[in-house]
Amino acid sequence: MTSSPTQTLATAARAVAASKIYGSGDTEVRALDAIDVDFEQGRFTAIMGPSGSGKSTLMHCMAGLDTVTSGQVIIGDTDLTTLSEKDLTLLRRDSVGFVFQAYNLVPTLTAIENITLPMDLAGEKGDEVWVDEVVGATGLSDRVKHRPNELSGGQQQRVAVARALAGKPQIIFADEPTGNVDSNTAAEILGFMRSAVDQMGQTIVMVTHDPVAASYADRVVFLVDGKIVDELADPTPQGIRDHMTRLGA
Amino acid sequence: MLRLALKSLLAHKIRFALTAGTIVLGVTFVVAAFVTADSLRATFDEVGADINTGLDFTVRGALPFGEIANTPPIPDSLAGDIRAVEGVEAAEGGLFVDGVVPVDGSGEAASTVGPPLAGANWLEDESLSQLFLITGEWPQGASQFAIDVETFANYNYELGREYQVVTPTGPRAFTLTGTMQFGFPENAGAGVVFTVFDTATAQQVLGFEGLFNEIAVRAAPGADLDEVRDRIEAALPDTAEVITAEEAAEEFGDFFEFFIGPLQTILLTFAFVVLFVSTFIISNTFNIVLGQRVRELSLLRALGATPRQVRRSVLIESLVIGVTASAAGIGLGMLGALGLGALFDAFGASLPDGPMPLRPRTVVWAFAVGVGFTVIASLVPAVKASRVSPVAGLQESTGDDGGHLRLWRPIAGAALAVIGLVLTGRGLFADFDSVTAQLLSLGIGAAVVFVAVAVLSPLIAGPVVSTLARPLPRILRTPGRLARDNAARSPRRTAATAVALTIGLALVAMVLVVGQSLKDTFSDSLSSAVRADYIISTQTISGVPKTLAEDLRAAGAGTVVGLDEDLVQIFSPVAPDRIEQTEITVTDLAAIGEVANLGVTEGSLSAIDPASGLLVNGDRAEEWGLSVGDPVELVLVSGETLTVTVGAVFAETQPPFWDDWLIDQSLYEQAVAADAFEQWVAVKGAGAEPESTRALLEEVLSAYPQANLEDRQQFQENAESNLNTVLALVNVFLLFALVVALVGIVNTLTLSVFERTHEIGLLRAVGMTRRQLRRVIRWEAATIALYGALVGVALGLAFGVALSVAIPDEIIDRVSVPGVQMAGLVLVAVIFGLLAAVFPSYRAGRMNVLEAIAAD
Repeated sequence: MTSSPTQTLATAARAVAASKIYGSGDTEVRALDAIDVDFEQGRFTAIMGPSGSGKSTLMHCMAGLDTVTSGQVIIGDTDLTTLSEKDLTLLRRDSVGFVFQAYNLVPTLTAIENITLPMDLAGEKGDEVWVDEVVGATGLSDRVKHRPNELSGGQQQRVAVARALAGKPQIIFADEPTGNVDSNTAAEILGFMRSAVDQMGQTIVMVTHDPVAASYADRVVFLVDGKIVDELADPTPQGIRDHMTRLGA
Repeated sequence: MLRLALKSLLAHKIRFALTAGTIVLGVTFVVAAFVTADSLRATFDEVGADINTGLDFTVRGALPFGEIANTPPIPDSLAGDIRAVEGVEAAEGGLFVDGVVPVDGSGEAASTVGPPLAGANWLEDESLSQLFLITGEWPQGASQFAIDVETFANYNYELGREYQVVTPTGPRAFTLTGTMQFGFPENAGAGVVFTVFDTATAQQVLGFEGLFNEIAVRAAPGADLDEVRDRIEAALPDTAEVITAEEAAEEFGDFFEFFIGPLQTILLTFAFVVLFVSTFIISNTFNIVLGQRVRELSLLRALGATPRQVRRSVLIESLVIGVTASAAGIGLGMLGALGLGALFDAFGASLPDGPMPLRPRTVVWAFAVGVGFTVIASLVPAVKASRVSPVAGLQESTGDDGGHLRLWRPIAGAALAVIGLVLTGRGLFADFDSVTAQLLSLGIGAAVVFVAVAVLSPLIAGPVVSTLARPLPRILRTPGRLARDNAARSPRRTAATAVALTIGLALVAMVLVVGQSLKDTFSDSLSSAVRADYIISTQTISGVPKTLAEDLRAAGAGTVVGLDEDLVQIFSPVAPDRIEQTEITVTDLAAIGEVANLGVTEGSLSAIDPASGLLVNGDRAEEWGLSVGDPVELVLVSGETLTVTVGAVFAETQPPFWDDWLIDQSLYEQAVAADAFEQWVAVKGAGAEPESTRALLEEVLSAYPQANLEDRQQFQENAESNLNTVLALVNVFLLFALVVALVGIVNTLTLSVFERTHEIGLLRAVGMTRRQLRRVIRWEAATIALYGALVGVALGLAFGVALSVAIPDEIIDRVSVPGVQMAGLVLVAVIFGLLAAVFPSYRAGRMNVLEAIAAD
């Protein structure tokens, strides 16, 4: 693991024949079925699929929150399947950013403290110029001393995205980041994520079931029954809806 | 609702066990206290019944006041008078004198911890006696003795050989003729060492010439006992009385209430402290749990449950916990009684082994306090739960109670504080008819103060905890920061958790302050008040034989002054309404000034007439309005009255060394028939060098192996170490309250961790290691503990200072704070906190990150 992404690599993360199997025999469930997928650097990818398709499982396994049963998961040049629980934790801290659906923030910490939390946990100062830039991009510079319960839902999610960006991770995973907010707020959050990719060169993978949200991505990957069944580049909401219908989801 | 309550309990077994556990501990303590006391009662009742089988009446000295142990002897001629009474078949006089010490072949003196070393006589009529010959023969004449089988077995004795026995009339040699035992079974004597002589020899060597302690009487078969009793009574002088064997047995059993009762009360007091602390823990646990179950409760309400039903389901839950805990506590209490026995043993205060009766009263109490305290603890949470609105579950709840402290809190808290302080102050400084009423006022006052602290504490807990934990973020970085914030984020919860520790530590700190003040007062006044170079004492309650002092004088040891105590009632025409029953010191008034600095403020020691002089402590003199020349009457337990005159007033009292009232031994000896012992012997060496006296003293004392020779330094150290032992024992009992407090912290943290599942998942997801997470929880616990400890020590300090001030100056005349020990307490509390975090932090570390994040 290195602290800065290697520019020559075209992919930030990839899965090779990754399977996740729960139970065995009759009760066996293949949440991921030998998936091969690449997530290119500097791109915004959306993962879509019906409930139970394995999209969240894929994200969790890619992010080092869960482990695959077989196959490989690689972030940068690190094979996650070889790491101990402790090393996985450190990888999450140093190389991965997260945005969850809700309650992304530690309620006792201020916005800025939440943003620098992974660095603080690592005991590192971080890149202060970069952090300032990220905070500036959230448009919340005057509210960073506030605690989460003093921020709106959209502001909280922007702080969460800022936290994911602040450590300059190799890749950011977002799990339904707009699942809990109204459409205006969703636009505000997605716009911020989009600009993080375009202007800051970040890599984002987002799980969503909302075609509008997915349309902010450069590429949409469709999952059904633990397999990647389709892909769509430069998607529009309507194009995504059509695809979904075709997939019979 | 019952089924719902039960299911809710079963679903959270660990929480149930922890909550119930605190009550189990309290109930265990209650049961152990009762069983221990009842065991002692049963033992002494049995002994009492044993002593009195085979006889119908006991004749003994009439006792105008005081305990049966003070009963004055009666003339032995009464035995003949009673035998002559119609309907009396047999009557024989008996002696039982404490302080007779047989010395075995290797020079070792028999000793006991508590039970008497008894000198006694055997009776011709075997059925009147409870002394049974086991081997050899009963002693005959002035040079033979027998000892009990246990002493015979425990020490180095052989029949037919000659041994030294230190009798009240001095050390003498006797030939051992037999072994005996007291009653059946063998241990009926409950550890008493017996040295037995024939009646004439016993009277002579025990210092009871012409006297008996009591006369055992058996009526002729078929005689009307009431009539016989009346006839005996008619034959007796006013100074003697007759009681039936049943009365005597009952009296004997009851007599030991003088220490069994207080022992039981003291143990129960500790039990109540534990239960009191548990109440806070349980209340807090219920509060947190119900807070977490808002969603479930509001669903119940939405489905049509009335507030009353919700309230009832909470109360049923607490009832089940109370009943279960009480039942478990009864079982453990029996073990606890054994444990108490072992504890007392370890502290050198053995209690006799006996049956362990579980009386119905004990069971009733166990359930009453177990269920009672649990239900009381759940009242407030139950009412709160019933107020949950049907839509509450739809709103977001973080379990925090941040800014929701209402106005009633400071008002109620202040009111309670005032009530508590008034009660405590009244207990400390007002005059009370009985010590019980005073202690009750103190205890209730202290309890109310603690409740006030619990009510007020949330108001300051947030900022104080933040301040206390200020160094944490700097030392432990982010985990320290989170620990600090978590401890401060829910002031009500932190305060409620800490209050248990506060109470425990307040009591410990109070005991330490009072103990230290007592020690300092004692050692200071001892060094200024005692002039003697050496002090001789013994473990035996009676003291050392007076012959010891005589032997020392004969050997030229310098000034040798004996001090003894006796119970009297004091009257004076100067204060006609006053009467005081107290111990007075009997000593050599002409010489007391050489071994003690009494600080005479009025009159002078040299001018006192030993035959009629009385020394009075200044405080007493002031109370009574006495001054030099005033007449005072002292009524002895024999009923005899000594008329004395105040000869001097003095300032220094040094209990137990000497009391507030002193008279000369020559006066006392005239009035008291049998008095062969002295409590203390003080020696001021003739030479300038105390060391030169020591060899001489040791030589004389070699004939009195039970005597302890101590110089002033040793005497002081010994007294202090005895006090330390008592303090340590008290603190061991208070430790149980601290254990409950520990459980309280475990409970709160476990529940907080559960409540913060999502947050913990988030922290782990963004890269917090398990180690860092454990650190967060550990230091949160330590911070809560530190807060509780500091409040507790401050409170204990205040209580200790107040108590030290309130206790009369002759016992405590200053306030000393053992700073190091206080700091140690706080440190121990923090360690307790760290320990309490072990389980919750382990659980938090084991949480599955994904499931944790999914939790809400």
